[in-house]
Amino acid sequence: MATLRLERIARDFSDGRQVRRVLFPTTLELMPGQLTVMAGPSGSGKTTLLSIIGLVLRPSEGKMFLDAREVSALSDDQAAALRLQQYGFVFQQPMLIEGLTVRENVLLALGVQGRRPPKAVVRKADELLAALGLAETGHLQPRVLSGGMKQRVSIARALIKDPAILLCDEPTSALDAESGQVVMKILKRIATEQNRVVIVVSHDARVFPYADRLIKLENGKVVSDTTEHYTSSNATEP
Amino acid sequence: MVLHDRSSTAGALLGVVAIVFLVGQQLSVLFGLLNFMSVLVDHSGADAWILSGNVRNVDAGNLISGRYLDRVIGLAEVAWAEPVLIGNGLFRTPDGSFESVRVVGVRRPRLTGGPWAFAQADERALLDLESVTVDRLDLKKLGQPWPGTVTEIGERRVRVGAVTEGARGFQGTLVFASLDKVKDIAKTPPGRYSAILVRFQPGTDAAVALARMRRILPECSVYSTAELSALTRRYYFTQTGIGGSFGFSTLIGVLIGVVIISLTLYASVLGRARDFAVMRAIGGRRWDVAVVVISQTLIITVTGLFVGFLLLATLLNATGRSAIPCYFPSYVPPILAAVTAGVSLLGSMIALRQALRAEPAAVFH
Repeated sequence: MATLRLERIARDFSDGRQVRRVLFPTTLELMPGQLTVMAGPSGSGKTTLLSIIGLVLRPSEGKMFLDAREVSALSDDQAAALRLQQYGFVFQQPMLIEGLTVRENVLLALGVQGRRPPKAVVRKADELLAALGLAETGHLQPRVLSGGMKQRVSIARALIKDPAILLCDEPTSALDAESGQVVMKILKRIATEQNRVVIVVSHDARVFPYADRLIKLENGKVVSDTTEHYTSSNATEP
Repeated sequence: MVLHDRSSTAGALLGVVAIVFLVGQQLSVLFGLLNFMSVLVDHSGADAWILSGNVRNVDAGNLISGRYLDRVIGLAEVAWAEPVLIGNGLFRTPDGSFESVRVVGVRRPRLTGGPWAFAQADERALLDLESVTVDRLDLKKLGQPWPGTVTEIGERRVRVGAVTEGARGFQGTLVFASLDKVKDIAKTPPGRYSAILVRFQPGTDAAVALARMRRILPECSVYSTAELSALTRRYYFTQTGIGGSFGFSTLIGVLIGVVIISLTLYASVLGRARDFAVMRAIGGRRWDVAVVVISQTLIITVTGLFVGFLLLATLLNATGRSAIPCYFPSYVPPILAAVTAGVSLLGSMIALRQALRAEPAAVFH
């Protein structure tokens, strides 16, 4: 399974008049089998860091390696190919495509470059949906599902291609407490049982108890990085 | 996406249908008028036409001497030559009013240059000296002069002997009669004709025969039937404003379609910007986004072409036997379809540009 290594990764943004540093040089190594939570207030740089890790944003400085391969300076198409092969994404909103069925949304992760998924993969999509408690929903339009169900569909979409790295941006923020716990348990299981790199960005303290590693950011800098077991007063144990 | 985003799909579909239907309808009227312009030439059954010198179209020639008939008949390449006399007259209707008609005189018994299709009776009616034909589409205008009706053209007694089908000229109602009757109506000098129609012997090299005829008739215009037809059409197309008028209305039809397609597809893409960003984030390339937009456009275009041509065919069928000029040559639909597809793709370019701007990083918020 893949290991991600970030060496002094930094990112600047420019509004045309002045350049603003939103992520200061950051060095991290992200291991498979761990659920890593990146936490911090708005503007702390956690989403920027996740975007760089997810190859949707290039760093202004530093290098990133996926195993031994440098991936911080790939072309658009190379980055897209790598995202397709190695990455799964779960967004803050499920971002399912209306007009496609639940099953088609899941399969889109494989067919996005125009390839028709084989029948075995279609079966796998149905099995995955069933494993996530969404049996018999494959033919439905996303609009008829609840928020929690949609988010689980987006997890299925991320997992259908067996990604080595699963990136989740505030996956529970749009969900009620119960749905949020279900989603976090699934993500935890994916990290530990399937030995994947799972990174969750969140400022929701309820997700912290599920973290194997908690990285806190403030003002574009990592202020703490701990693998101690974390609990919050209002969170239940996984 | 095409089925889900119904309002955008319907809008873009309307644009494609508008192009096919509006442009197709304009073209069918234009081709119908073009047919009217050269109808006498196209249905003459002759290989060549001899007219007065420097003619610009078949309707604008001076009278020529009948002696030219003897000159061309003497040529080895010529099977036969027949004179045609074209004049104008006033047709008296049953209520005492008059309608201007163009009278075409043809020589018996061959009746070359005469009518070619009939709704009632046939060409044998013109073997009678007094007999004339009227066209089915002009019956109402002329007061329903069915075969057997006796009336006057140019104050000369005529009897309607047959009703023709599709004999309409660009310059008005066509009435066929015998050569002698038209001489009488149009009061033309004896021994002079509007044109001489020539048929070549089988196996004759038309170019060689035409060249010989031009040599022996230097004061005349000698054209093959196809040349005269094209000359006449070109004259009316360029000299009467028809070309500009139809060109402009066709352009407007295309522009309306392009604007509708552009705006609806652009609005559709704007509404789906998030979906394209998701596509990019999960591994789609810009090319894959382009494929989605172009596929959507092509699906709409093909559907629009089908609906547009269906509507157009319905219109053409409904007006085919009416007084509205309409004709659609078989080579036009493929060209119209190709142009419409091109225009639709052009209309989708703004939408495509917007779709390609979708940044995968936009999904993380």
